[in-house]
Amino acid sequence: MVLKTGVDNSDLTPLWSKRSFYHYPFVMVSDILGSRHLLSLLVKRDIATRYRRAYLGFSWAILEPLLLAGVYSVVFTILVGSSDPLYAAKVIIGVIGWSLFSRSVTSSAKSLTNSVNLFQFARVPKSVFATNGPITNIILALFSLLSLIPFFIIHDLPITINLLIVPFWLFFLSFTGWSIGLLVAPISCKIPDVMNIVNFLVRAGFFLSPVMWTYDMFSRRFGGGWQSIVAHLNPAIVPLTEMRDAVLGTSSGMPSWAYGMCIGMAVIFYLFGSIVFMRSAHKAVVNI
Amino acid sequence: MSTVMRLENITLEYPVPRRYRKDNIKPSGIRNVSFELEQGEVLGIIGRNGSGKSTLLKMMAGVFPPNSGTISSKGAVSLLAGVGVGFNKELTGRENAYLYGALMGRSRKQIDELIDEIQSFAELTHHFDRPFRTFSSGMRARLGISVATAFKPDLLLIDEVLGVGDVSFREKSQNRVKDLIKTSGSVIIVSHSLAMLKDMCTRMILIEDGEILIDGEPDAVITKYREVLKN
Repeated sequence: MVLKTGVDNSDLTPLWSKRSFYHYPFVMVSDILGSRHLLSLLVKRDIATRYRRAYLGFSWAILEPLLLAGVYSVVFTILVGSSDPLYAAKVIIGVIGWSLFSRSVTSSAKSLTNSVNLFQFARVPKSVFATNGPITNIILALFSLLSLIPFFIIHDLPITINLLIVPFWLFFLSFTGWSIGLLVAPISCKIPDVMNIVNFLVRAGFFLSPVMWTYDMFSRRFGGGWQSIVAHLNPAIVPLTEMRDAVLGTSSGMPSWAYGMCIGMAVIFYLFGSIVFMRSAHKAVVNI
Repeated sequence: MSTVMRLENITLEYPVPRRYRKDNIKPSGIRNVSFELEQGEVLGIIGRNGSGKSTLLKMMAGVFPPNSGTISSKGAVSLLAGVGVGFNKELTGRENAYLYGALMGRSRKQIDELIDEIQSFAELTHHFDRPFRTFSSGMRARLGISVATAFKPDLLLIDEVLGVGDVSFREKSQNRVKDLIKTSGSVIIVSHSLAMLKDMCTRMILIEDGEILIDGEPDAVITKYREVLKN
């Protein structure tokens, strides 16, 4: 069931229209584009309020990955004995990318339950509320990339056109996380335990994703066997590795099927996520 | 006169919690409700607590979808309920006014045109540009009412929002809502204030257990409601 948001002054029009399920992925995009004004206000609200009361303000968006990378680098160097001088930069990229992905999953998954009071009184497209969190997180992640500047200066890293691919992969990570969140949001209204499972998977995913380790380390240990195929079921592996390669000017030699698998999974998540969300979100909110 | 809203056999039942299902409890909600609202009508909806008045209003506003049946409307529908829901504590009064306006489906241009009036009606003066968290509860309610009543819809739906703020603001907001009722094409009011409904409405509906018990002249409906309350 789709909420009709347009106002027609000519004749009586139904408030709700039934659509075939294959229309939902397009209706969702159309809903979001049609509510650009509201979406931009919600994103501005989220950005303005994220660090508003902090003395260091937006500096936290840069400091957070730097501090985390510092801690992880020390711990990892002690445990594994890595002597890679760029290891900290690799961790920063991993932290920024993984944080964006996990925050996009949780913000869109919680969008219905977090705004339920509003949905009980206002006729708003719920897809917009699932989208503002991931967009806010993309903007903050782009800002966080400034924490890599010291590495460019200290290690004389080349500034190449390849860097332009970094925002694309950030967007891709957020898109995949958003799509997974869309799938979870209506289900978590009915079964709150689902959110606990998602939180667990996000935490576990941190260790299963190349945040503290790199694709090279994985390849050296497991090669290209079945472990490699299983590992590529993690939608964050390709984007995180590609971002590292683009920033550090390296090549991890990722197989071409890995890109297809990664993009294919994102598309499947979006198709399922948008269909489940558009079919169930309105009713899920009524029943909370 | 033309029809501005039509409800055809609409039903919405809330699920019964699992622990009560074995007791065969009838689900609450709205069942097979049908009526039409004509241009210029002021319709009052009364009923006991939990009878389904607010649910019906939310369905007419497009907030809750029906399980079955059709709701059709003409023109811009605005629900005046839950005033202030959606305000953010960290944003200023002005920023919240823009956000709240957008939540009500208004464009930036429409809000730009009314922002001075919103500030003036809410009597917030310099507080308007201070964070919402610094507002007293009265100031919060005034801002909510001010934004919610600033826009003139074709069909206005009101759910018990006339009793907020101090005495003078309450009177002011009641007058504002009365003006809105006069200027809006059609109005539906849910309230427990029978005197106010009798004064304002051209027609009334009594809801009992999610079904329409009587639909007609205000005097007849109020008499029936009093009988229902006695039973």
